[in-house]
Parts: sequence; structure tokens; C-alpha cells
Amino acid sequence: MPAAENSGRAAILNRVRAALKTPAKVHDSPGHVHAGPGEIFPPIGDPLERFRSECVGNKTELIVTSSFEASLAAASSILAESQAGEIFVQDAPELRRAAAQFGAGRSLRWSCDGGPLESTGVTITLAELLVAQYGSVLISSACGGRGASVAAPVHIVLAEIDQLVPDLETAMQRTYDPASRNSYLCLITGSSRTADIEKILVMGAHGPKRLIVILSQS
Amino acid sequence: MTTTAQEFLRKAAEKSADMAHRQIIRKNMDSYDEAVANGRSRFQNWQAAREKCQAIKREAIEHLDHYLERFESAVQARGGKVFWAETGEQARQYIVDLAAKHNVRTISKSKSMVAEEIHLAPALEEKGISVFETDLGEFIVQLRKEPPYHIVTPAMHLSRAQIAELFKEKLGGIDTDDPEQLVTAARTTLRRAFFTAEMGITGANFLVADQGLAAITTNEGNADLGVTLPKIHVVIAGIEKVIPRLQDLAILWPVLASSGTGQPISVYNTLVGGPRGTSECAGPEEFHVILLDNGRTDLLADPEQREVLHCIRCGACLNACPVYRNIGGHTYGTTYSGPIGSVLTPHLRGLNQFQHLSYASSLCGACAEVCPVKIDLHHHLLQNRRNAVNLADRPASERFAFKMWRWSMGSAGRLAFFGAIGKFLLRALYALGAQGTALDPLRPWTKYRAAPQLPSKSFRVQWREQNAGR
Repeated sequence: MPAAENSGRAAILNRVRAALKTPAKVHDSPGHVHAGPGEIFPPIGDPLERFRSECVGNKTELIVTSSFEASLAAASSILAESQAGEIFVQDAPELRRAAAQFGAGRSLRWSCDGGPLESTGVTITLAELLVAQYGSVLISSACGGRGASVAAPVHIVLAEIDQLVPDLETAMQRTYDPASRNSYLCLITGSSRTADIEKILVMGAHGPKRLIVILSQS
Repeated sequence: MTTTAQEFLRKAAEKSADMAHRQIIRKNMDSYDEAVANGRSRFQNWQAAREKCQAIKREAIEHLDHYLERFESAVQARGGKVFWAETGEQARQYIVDLAAKHNVRTISKSKSMVAEEIHLAPALEEKGISVFETDLGEFIVQLRKEPPYHIVTPAMHLSRAQIAELFKEKLGGIDTDDPEQLVTAARTTLRRAFFTAEMGITGANFLVADQGLAAITTNEGNADLGVTLPKIHVVIAGIEKVIPRLQDLAILWPVLASSGTGQPISVYNTLVGGPRGTSECAGPEEFHVILLDNGRTDLLADPEQREVLHCIRCGACLNACPVYRNIGGHTYGTTYSGPIGSVLTPHLRGLNQFQHLSYASSLCGACAEVCPVKIDLHHHLLQNRRNAVNLADRPASERFAFKMWRWSMGSAGRLAFFGAIGKFLLRALYALGAQGTALDPLRPWTKYRAAPQLPSKSFRVQWREQNAGR
């Protein structure tokens, strides 16, 4: 690294240290409300019920099935109705099992063969966690690599009930482990959207128009 | 008065009289207010949430050196590079050199206020590189060759008819004002750019020290594509963006979303901390983080205003501000507009030239009330006023006038005496028919307002009479 790059580092850190020798003046103008003790968020009842209602609110399509096999079948029937384009699937043993179902009459690519393409129509991945509080899905680059969740118009996530955690606090505690192994993670809550034109909500800005979570209860 | 101040006053007068502009902003703000009320209702104790966020940011800023070094070593451990830029010029040069080294022709860029602050895109375009703003709002203002109007909603000032006209002219083959079709047109153009770009540039909402991750929030998913498809990813962020722990995002993400747009949480909360790992199947070959100072350490050295560095750029203070709502974002003529911009800009670009912004406030405190990290914004505006008076050369006549004012306010007797003289002179002037003319000292106030009737008796006299029997 050239010397010039290091000089900025030392200069900035020196200025920071010199500045911090004087503690900050704490601002508390009269009339400031103090919260006192108490929970920030209301308690979460049944996580699955909460997850279900949050999905309605954030426009995630949720399908609850009785087994992983049933989830695979549900994914296949969505594929059958979905628009043209390659199907991109996370290279995981449990998804490899369904290769014949997914690939019927469609070109199918596994994540180990490189990222999704411009023409990819549907991506299918697993997840790290689901969060009931917001109806969110936490994915990492272990879930089919970067881009597997955002590159195609449709993203299907296959998850199991024991991956569902009640709140974001718990989810972030459990994120330390995947964060240490992956260079990319994303907490996804609903499908891509924008309200940049007159605050009118439009789905599918860059990422998927549809996010479908298939959750098996087994 | 400096020319920036004159320009500000001219534009402010113009914009506040622009009824079409007013209508668009009101419509946007109404829908924002409604969404925020909704978002807030998700919290059992919003004040406790604010205090927690304030505590997190305070901890980070009070130990900034420690957390920056921790962030740096965690990024380096993942194979990323960290560059410390003292100035905007150094940051621009680093990216321009990096682009030249890799022969970059196309860049997909996500929304970043820091990139605006250092005028990054023009510097790259000067080298013949195509820079595509991929946030829809930012893409729209880029096509119009305008700076963003608002920190969170860059194209807030445009009606869909204006956007339709713009797309018809610039994108070709589109003639519709249907938002869905307009978004599809932008998506098509930008999708091509995403898959062509050799470099992706993003900002960061937070830099997570303990894990060496940049946290980037979007609703569109544009940052995710930008950190995935190009072979180089560059993050540019101010040094104040660092937070201690990954865990802190459990409160910062919901608070950012509910203050920024009123959503419970934003759609894509992305964490990225390096190039593609050996076991990973996609992602860039190189990952660079630029930590920018550009005046921030000067603000850090001011213990009174240090907390201004706690800002998470949610835009809530802009939306709450009666001045912003009337004069709009472009009038400020600064990268950061609204109350936070009025506080911050004099520090980043010079108190003398931007002191007028400290007066672009009614000191109503609506900004401080909504700030999710509890920055005492209107008091900082007052401090900037004081600092401007102390540092800059104010006319001797002004100093004398305020000295006199202070002295005359210092006792009830003096106040009554000078009050009576003032009233007498005003009556004399008005008797000569000077009311409403250039000689009328109340003219600046009565120019746009009905003049109140001068009461026949002073407050002191009325008070004495009414309390006589008690």
C-alpha cells in the first residue's frame, strides 16, 4: 500500500484521539421525555401466527406445508405456472433431490455454476432464519450465493419451522455465526418495491416482484 | 451578507410562493406522516427506542478510534481493503485510480449522501466512465441533472407527469404516466447497467465494528445487485457511521425504517464485508471501504456539538421542519438539507459562508422531537448563531445594538423607559403617514402580515390596573 494511504489513517486516528480527550457535553434540554424502564416492543405471541400476519402486511406470499416433501411439491407447482426463463437453484443436497421436479421442461442451473443471469426467471434457495416479528427471511451467501435472492423476478424460499425465531433481537444474536462464515447476508422483508414516484407503491423495482416463502411444519 | 445567503433568500421567497411545488410537497408529507404514525405504533415504547439508539451511537462516537480500528481489522481479515480519506479529494482520487487500474467503463451506484458530498459521480464521468444511479429516485434526478431534493426521497419534488415527460425524452419509446410502467422502464435500463458494470459503489447506513460488515438499507434491492454482479465493490462512508455490534441493528434497523419511511423495517437490510470468499459462488473479486473524514473530526473536537455525528440520515427532521416544507430541499444549496443540514453544513463547508442556515429555523424544536437518536437540533442551530457572531466579523453597529438591547432588557425600569420612547417614536412616524413605507421599522414584519393595532396602554399599565384590587 502506498505511503500516502497510511498517512491518512494515522492523521485521522490522531485527530479522533485528540478530540475525544474532552468528553462530550450531554444535551438534555428541559422538557425532554425520559422513557424509564419498559420493553421497547410489544410481546410476540405465537411466532407462526405473527409470521403469517406480517407476511400479509409486507406482501410476502406464505405457504405452510406439512413436510419438506410437500414444500418441494408446492415449489414445483409454482414453477409450472411461472414465467419463462432459467431456474436458478441453490446447490444443497435437499434441493438436488428435487432436481427432476424443478427441471421438468425448463433449463435449470445450480448455484455452484456461477451467479444468476440476466435472463433468470426464478430463484430457489434455503434460508438461515425466519423472523416472526417482521415476517422476514435472513439469507446469507451460503443460500445460493450473492444475488440468488434479488436477481430474478420470483424468489422462492424453502424453510422449516425450527428456523423461525420470534424477534429481531434473537435473530441478530444468531446471525453472528453465519456472519463469521459469509461475506454477505441480507434480512429480506417482502419483495422489492419503490415509492419514489409520488409515494405510490410499485412492486418489483429491481429485485423480485414476488417473494414466496414455503414453510414446512415438520 | 454573502452571496450564498442572498441566493438562499431569493430561492426561499420564490419556492414558498410556488403553489404547484407546495402541493406536491404537502401530498408527500401527508402520506409520510400517515406512514410514520403507523410505523411508530409498532413500538410499545418509542421513547425507550430513541434512548437506546442514542446510547448506541454515543458509545460508538465516544470510542470512535477503537471501533474504527476494530472495523478495519475485521474487514481486512475477510480480504477487504480499507482506505482512510482525510478529504473528499483523496476519496475521489482513490476511486478514480481504482477504476483506471481495472479499466472500468460502467459503474452501478447505489444512493449515498457521502458520494454527493464529495461530488463523486461527476469526477468519474469526467474520466469517461458511465455512472448509473440505481435508486429510482436518484436515477430520476440524475436524468434531470439535479442534486437530490431530499436525503431519503431524492425525487420528492416531481409529479409523475414530470417524470413521465422526462422518461419520454431520455429513455425513448415510453409514453405513459402510469407509475408501474415508469418503474418497469427504469428497471429495464438499470438491469442492463447492473449486468454490464465492472464496479459497484454503495454507501453504508452503518459500519458494524465487531464483524467488519457494512450495513446497507434499500427497498428496491439495488444495493444487493450492486454488491453482487460487478467484479469490484467500493463502499464509501463517513467515519461516524460505525456502530459497536451486529446486535445493535436489532433496534437501529426498525428505528431507521420507521423514521425514514414509516415502514416497520425496510425490505432489504444488507450486510456485506468482503470480496467473494473461497467457498462462495458469487460476488466481487475486490472489496474496498473508504472511511471519510472531510471535516468530521473537527465536529468531533467540539464537545458541545459532537452528538451531531450521531445522525443516521433518516430524513425525519426534514419532513418535520416547517421551513423545509415551505422552501424545499434545493433552496438550501447544500448536500444535506433541512435542520440537520443547517447544523452540519457550517461545520463541513465553513461557518462564515453558511451561517445564514442557522436562521432558516423558527426554533420550534419539531426536528429535535422527531430525531430518532435525540440530537438536540434546534439548540445546535442556536450555538451556530452564537459561534458565527463570535468568530465572524459582524458589523460594529450590530454589536452595539445588541449591547444596548441587552442593557435595556436588564431591568424592568429601563425596559419600560425604552418601550415608552419606542412607542412614542412609532406613533409620531405613523402620524406622519410612514406606516407601511420604507421608514416603518415594522415593515419587514408587516410586509406579508396585517399590522396589529397599537394598544393605547402598555402591558405594564394594563397589568397594574387589572391587579389593582388584589
